[in-house]
Amino acid sequence: MKKVCLILLLITSQVGSIESNEALTNQERELYQQIIQEVRCLVCQNQSVGESNADLAKDLRTEILEQVQKGSSEDDIKNYLLSRYGDFVLYEPSFKKSTYVLWLSPVLIILLILGWLRKIGVIGK
Amino acid sequence: MKRILPIIIFIGLFAFLAKSLFQPQTNIPSPLIGQSMPAFSLGELNTDTSLTDKDILGTISLINVWATWCVGCEREHDFLIELAGNQSIDIPIIGINWKDRDDLALRWLSQRGNPYIVVLSDPIGKTAIDFGVYGAPETFLIDEQGVIRYKHIGPLNRENFARNFMPIIRDLRR
Repeated sequence: MKKVCLILLLITSQVGSIESNEALTNQERELYQQIIQEVRCLVCQNQSVGESNADLAKDLRTEILEQVQKGSSEDDIKNYLLSRYGDFVLYEPSFKKSTYVLWLSPVLIILLILGWLRKIGVIGK
Repeated sequence: MKRILPIIIFIGLFAFLAKSLFQPQTNIPSPLIGQSMPAFSLGELNTDTSLTDKDILGTISLINVWATWCVGCEREHDFLIELAGNQSIDIPIIGINWKDRDDLALRWLSQRGNPYIVVLSDPIGKTAIDFGVYGAPETFLIDEQGVIRYKHIGPLNRENFARNFMPIIRDLRR
């Protein structure tokens, strides 16, 4: 019984990385694991391809794995996905013209709030 | 007023974010529009011949990604049949059968009719990834040089085809 439990535990804990049991160097495995956490599963949204069991997520994991094995860099792989699926595929979109608002609005909002707090005298002049 | 303003801003922002949270984003813009379609070489359904992206150049065409497991594909099928038979629009539809079984695909086509001039099969979904496909059905409008001019996600129908595809097709043919 103990053995069965252990096996079940091993199987379930492997779900996110089924495709990673092929021969990879530690460095490659790390890169693979990192990328699949940062790429959005587009059909399940709010899950990374590393977390999702959707078919598309599996295909994307296989694709990423193959590219890691070919020796592609993190940027190569991300650009590959970006050129096909667009900014939305990465949880952390790159900093460029179309994403300025996205990246800078939090800073702007904080500055506005600070300014307002000063004005009403909550923080010192 | 001064004290109420932040509360108004807060409520506004809250409403905006809540709306975005509960409304799934279904139409993610494709970076492929205006780009050449990705190179592919796929086997034709139920034959030994294969076709590449070069083989479909020279005419404006549609590439429709479908599967028998796809509910939306069922909904658009009648329209695809109608479109294929429309002499005045006269646009060939190339089917890519995505992550499907050949026998199921063939049965589907024999039962419901076949709107495609050719059906290619992509059982492992590699070409689909190159096309940035994430949910079937998806339809691409390809010009004579092989450039992707438009991409539609979800079932096609008379209304969205007339609104989104026809103006571009007319432009391309002018």
